[in-house]
Amino acid sequence: MSHNISDTPVSKEILKALRAERKDWIAGAAALARENKKARKAVMERLAAASATVPEIAEATGLAPDAALWMVASLKKFGEVVEAEKDGSFYRYALAAEAAQAQEA
Amino acid sequence: MDSSKNAVFDAVVIGGGIAGLQSALDLAGQGYKTAVVEKDASIGGKMIRLSKVFPTLDCASCITTPKMAAAAHHDNITLYTCCDVQRVEKNAAGVSVSMIQRPRYVDIDKCIGCRKCEYNCPVLVPDAEQGGFSGRKAIRIPFSNAIPQKALLDVEHCMLCGKCADVCPTKAIRYDQKPEPLAIQAKTAILATGYELSSVTGKPQYGNGDIPNVIDSLQMERLLAPHGPYGRVLRPSDGMIPDSIAYVQCAGSRDASMGVPYCSRFCCMYAVKQAMLLSGSLPLADITIYYMDIRAFGKNYEQFYQNAKAMGIEFVKAKVASLDAGQGGAVTVRYEDQTGEGATSRDHDLVVLSMGVLPGFAPGGVCPVGLGPDGFIQSVLPKMSPAVTDMDGVFVAGVAAGPKDIVDTITEAGAAAMEAAKYLTALSGKAPGAANKESAHE
Ligand SMILES: Cc1cc2nc3c(=O)[nH]c(=O)nc-3n(C[C@H](O)[C@H](O)[C@H](O)COP(=O)(O)OP(=O)(O)OC[C@H]3O[C@@H](n4cnc5c(N)ncnc54)[C@H](O)[C@@H]3O)c2cc1C
Ligand code: SF4
Ligand code: SF4
Repeated sequence: MSHNISDTPVSKEILKALRAERKDWIAGAAALARENKKARKAVMERLAAASATVPEIAEATGLAPDAALWMVASLKKFGEVVEAEKDGSFYRYALAAEAAQAQEA
Repeated sequence: MDSSKNAVFDAVVIGGGIAGLQSALDLAGQGYKTAVVEKDASIGGKMIRLSKVFPTLDCASCITTPKMAAAAHHDNITLYTCCDVQRVEKNAAGVSVSMIQRPRYVDIDKCIGCRKCEYNCPVLVPDAEQGGFSGRKAIRIPFSNAIPQKALLDVEHCMLCGKCADVCPTKAIRYDQKPEPLAIQAKTAILATGYELSSVTGKPQYGNGDIPNVIDSLQMERLLAPHGPYGRVLRPSDGMIPDSIAYVQCAGSRDASMGVPYCSRFCCMYAVKQAMLLSGSLPLADITIYYMDIRAFGKNYEQFYQNAKAMGIEFVKAKVASLDAGQGGAVTVRYEDQTGEGATSRDHDLVVLSMGVLPGFAPGGVCPVGLGPDGFIQSVLPKMSPAVTDMDGVFVAGVAAGPKDIVDTITEAGAAAMEAAKYLTALSGKAPGAANKESAHE
């Protein structure tokens, strides 16, 4: 499947033309990335202070509880957050060791 | 395993789910050069997305992955993924398939599946492969046991930041890749295009998908799967461990108002299976199944159902009239109890809708194969040769012909392969392997 491809994957000219062609998608994706970044930062900061349940994360970050869970599940997938102990009807979540060190630095 | 632009095969199988893979492996094992055309980025169909399977409770991935790998590595099988079939037609040489391969924006020959691009991409979007319950990146390996393990870039969510290209160790990213027209010529074809679940948005009485903690059965498969979004079953609205889970049977089947008057056949059994798995992972939870009848039709299935009852799963014979958002994230189920209580209601933490099964492929304008009134591909000899369609040399396997479970799907896939092999032998009068080997790409 090595057809229709450029030799230099990210040549400036190709990127420029593609940016113009896909400008609406790029704008949408960039807005999403900014939202993701804000939500991720808020969740990571809350967890850097101490482990927390989803409702606690939601309260501290201002995210809706389902959005807080979604971000926690996504961070867990990429190894930044781990599940900690059970707390009543919820689980607590904590920063993974490496993420905790990075957050401290 | 890669594909070439114009290739000739003995057989082409459309659909790389368990039916298509089984048919392809049976044909390839007899020496026939076989192409598998799949619209997704991975083969495996619905089965690779399931948790465990009734009636044995085997891990779905443990059974499906070896078949997927066997097909991907078979010398006689060529896989075409990300393909939109444009036309399937009979010609003098057999069956021709024209299709468009959608770009992955990744050079599949260079990608080593290291996921560096995925880790570095800044855009997170809901991951449909995980029921939308967690995020995936704009560039990603589709799921952990996908075959091929090759990255895929979602151009509509890519901000062209260049990070993936910077970190890719093999320089595999191709932002400017274009859709590619491909053509296959084969002597015979098997249609194994499977199914889709009907949408939860189709039934206003059940909330049109707007009530929190009302999910569909494939989403529950993901919650139960070992590599699921939460790693355990939690309530999606707030991460609570659910204490009370309910199933609404025939939520999208046997319901003319939803355009699905037929029985979807496997929902009773997967609800029983999921209920058993839930009672294993949440031993303190109450699990209720609201049903019209339980259709435990296969070998050992009645025993499976009786085991579920013995485990304490509650079966309520009732037609659920409506669902509403209750207090604190609960879902209120209103139903007509057919054993005497009349109209009543109950609250549950999580409600699973056993949605209906719809054909995965609408051949109109693409392939002139005959359909039944339900929209599934019509078998013209349902009793004598169920894989035979009204197109000479074109056969059908699995749910493409109508709802059926994995056991029946595998049996029918073997039968379709046998019909295709018989057809090939009759055509050539020669032993298998007679296809044009020079033009069939390895
Ligand atoms: C929630 C749930 C749980 C289940 N649990 C069980 C269980 O425990 N045990 C059991 O026996 N059964 C179970 N089933 C049923 C099982 O999923 C099916 O029996 C089985 O997946 C059918 O396989 P198939 O290959 O026919 O279809 P599919 O799995 O749907 O595969 C069809 C393939 O064809 C592809 N395709 C479709 N159209 C095209 C096209 N035009 N071009 C190219 N490719 C195309 C699709 O992308 C897909 O990969 C369950 C079903 C559900 C919904
Ligand atoms: S270029 Fe697109 S896919 Fe690649 S890292 Fe940036 S946003 Fe993600
Ligand atoms: S970084 Fe490159 S090689 Fe690794 S998965 Fe992504 S595209 Fe493939």
